[in-house]
Amino acid sequence: MKQTMAPLDLMLRPPIADRGGRSAALVLRGMKTVQFGRRIVLPCLLAATLLCAWEFGTRLAHLSPLIIVPPSAVLSVLMASYAILMQQAVPTVVETLIGFALAAAIGIMLGTALVLSRRVRQALYPHVLTFQLIPKIALAPLFIVWFGVGPTSRLSLAVFMAFFPVVISTLTGLLSADRNAMRMARAMMASPWQSFISVRVPFALPHIFAGLKVAVTMAMIGVIVGEFVTAQAGLGYIIMMASSAGDTALVLAAIILLCGFGLLLYGAVALAEWLIDRRMGVSITSSEF
Amino acid sequence: MTTGPAIRHKPSSETAYTLGLPIGLGVAVLIGWQLAVRLAGISPVILPAPSDIVQSFGGVGGELLRQGWVTGFEALFAFVLSCLFGVAAALFLGFSTVAFETFYPGLVVFQIIPKIALAPLFTFWLGIAATSRLSYALFISFFPVTLATMTGLKRADTNALRLCHALGASRLQAFVAVQIPYALPYFFSGAKVAATMSIIGIVIGEFISANAGLGYYILRAQSYSETAHMFAAILVLCGIGLLLYIIPVQAERWVRRWWWD
Amino acid sequence: MAGYIHVDHVKKIYDSGKDVVEAVSGVSFVANKGEFIAILGPSGCGKSTLLMMCGGLEPTSAGTITIDGQEVTGPRANIGVMFQDSTLLPWKTVLENILFPVKIQRRPLAAYRERALELIEMVGLHGFADMKPHQLSGGMRQRVAICRALVTNPDILLMDEPFSALDAMTRDEMNDALLDIWDRYPKTGLFVTHAIREAVYLADRVLVMTKRPATLVADIRIPFDRPRDPSINNRAEFNDTCDQLRRLIEHKRTPWSETKAA
Repeated sequence: MKQTMAPLDLMLRPPIADRGGRSAALVLRGMKTVQFGRRIVLPCLLAATLLCAWEFGTRLAHLSPLIIVPPSAVLSVLMASYAILMQQAVPTVVETLIGFALAAAIGIMLGTALVLSRRVRQALYPHVLTFQLIPKIALAPLFIVWFGVGPTSRLSLAVFMAFFPVVISTLTGLLSADRNAMRMARAMMASPWQSFISVRVPFALPHIFAGLKVAVTMAMIGVIVGEFVTAQAGLGYIIMMASSAGDTALVLAAIILLCGFGLLLYGAVALAEWLIDRRMGVSITSSEF
Repeated sequence: MTTGPAIRHKPSSETAYTLGLPIGLGVAVLIGWQLAVRLAGISPVILPAPSDIVQSFGGVGGELLRQGWVTGFEALFAFVLSCLFGVAAALFLGFSTVAFETFYPGLVVFQIIPKIALAPLFTFWLGIAATSRLSYALFISFFPVTLATMTGLKRADTNALRLCHALGASRLQAFVAVQIPYALPYFFSGAKVAATMSIIGIVIGEFISANAGLGYYILRAQSYSETAHMFAAILVLCGIGLLLYIIPVQAERWVRRWWWD
Repeated sequence: MAGYIHVDHVKKIYDSGKDVVEAVSGVSFVANKGEFIAILGPSGCGKSTLLMMCGGLEPTSAGTITIDGQEVTGPRANIGVMFQDSTLLPWKTVLENILFPVKIQRRPLAAYRERALELIEMVGLHGFADMKPHQLSGGMRQRVAICRALVTNPDILLMDEPFSALDAMTRDEMNDALLDIWDRYPKTGLFVTHAIREAVYLADRVLVMTKRPATLVADIRIPFDRPRDPSINNRAEFNDTCDQLRRLIEHKRTPWSETKAA
């Protein structure tokens, strides 16, 4: 279930409604609007301040354009090289999506298999956990050795990195099903398949989506690292090229675009979660953002 | 389900399964790997056999340790700093509502974006010395700690807080007495993530601005097609990663025993 | 109407390697069709385990349970179950939860929908058919659980302390609701509880169980006619029966504690 995070001071102050009367209710509503407004205005103010500081700071301090360029310069590069940047964004995003889809499919299947067989789970799960904890990125060069510098190595790295969170979260989710609910289903003569689909899976959905959100970011990271190392195509490649050419504005533009796509993909998974939320009518959204 | 003595598995045989199965699987995989490489005549450049990897430990073990020490130390340093800064930031944001409302969305955005994209920037700005690696590792480990600890601070039991208010405690007193202890488990889960992240950050830094450490060593071994050395280095790296992970795990156990006693 | 339960020298043994625990040691009784039987005893005396065995959810270690002449080897379609936790599926509405067994057992939904709506009315949940469980109170959720248990018109209803988690007032309301339902749809019922007054109020017979050993020590017939109403709580026979049951439970407890000390 969703938890609301009430700010500390509002929790500790005595409730205004105690002061009685209709005016109290109005004040309360006013306060809520102010609070809501603050939540939007303050971060925007922060962002605006930082942008201005960046813009004027770089101009006034006359810092070398090799170190930093003002946001206006980044923006102009972004617009000028828009076509090239978007063209290079395609392989990055496509590889991320394919890597994510594969990792999700294989991960969910393996997670399910681990639930169904206790022995298999005992044998495999410790290894899965170990792989989750090690710095998987260190194996990137290994993938290059095996698959060369083409998209295969990037894709396999992406799947490798995204796969483990999905397995673990699927397994945790499926095992978290309420025992009593499972017993009740059995009492109603549900077959093992029916219990699994009608009871276990819905209980597992919040966990699975939490894992998928991690996975989409991991897949992208895998693709980007792959692009850094294989230096063939994609936004990661642009970043590397622009870095060595000293074109800071392009580096920053590519980074911003990459981050934008990262947010978009994450948002897509979060959106899917929200839609299923609505359909099921309970909050399956995991407790994090 | 027919009648019959309801025999439950005896605990001793159950432990045997819990330990034996994964170990057995690992051993089986190693043996299968060894045999496959030897029998299929796979080139050690593509896939070295486990025996080759063990041999390389004998050969370059010393250098591996040296590079491992560099990487490990830097990762540890980044980890500790990220915990310190993360907690400080979380305390600040947890205590001040205005700060929370201002910075939280930004924190979330930074947590979600593929921070790897910013890795070249650190090299760009800070050169190829250890500073850039450390700051990058700190950068990516900092957010999990902050966000997790902050979540813990916010989730403090409302009843306990009401009690503080009823007793006339100031906000600061309530903060220290209730919210901080309540947030500890959350901090530790964030610290565990930070442990994995800090070593990843160092390794990525070494990939990009390679001049020392295991990441650099792996890339060098790759360029010389010394795949067995690569594997050996990766194993050492994994070992360091696991050691680093154990720190918050043990710290949590220690705190629980000392605090909850 | 079917629903004749014959429990014959049933035992349940848990062997964890270190201890061997006899959760149920040789229980025998017969439940006739349409009888409401309360199984009364302190916590941990194996009464829930006994109920699970009757419902086919746990295997017996020794002895047999037959329902309508057939040995119980697994759950049956003509047995409805209620637990202490209402175990409603949080993502389904009240109506969907009630119709869940219908869906599982692949019966025609349309035919049972009417019945489900009737049951909803009967337990006083008019208008709540499209609500989700989190919108309901504990007592309301148990009412939904009752409807769910009744929707397929089972011959037998097994209830494992269904009202123990509710507050006292709601519990009394639920007891009255259950009596109402029993008048309208008589079935064979096994009702596990540790509340003496509840057992006497609801049941035709009360079986008293003790722990260590977990056996039946008494089979008391409750001398009240149906339909019952709350006024019987004040009658002398009611309190006498409660006293009698209390003494039975405590009496059996003493010898064991003496043995323990020895």
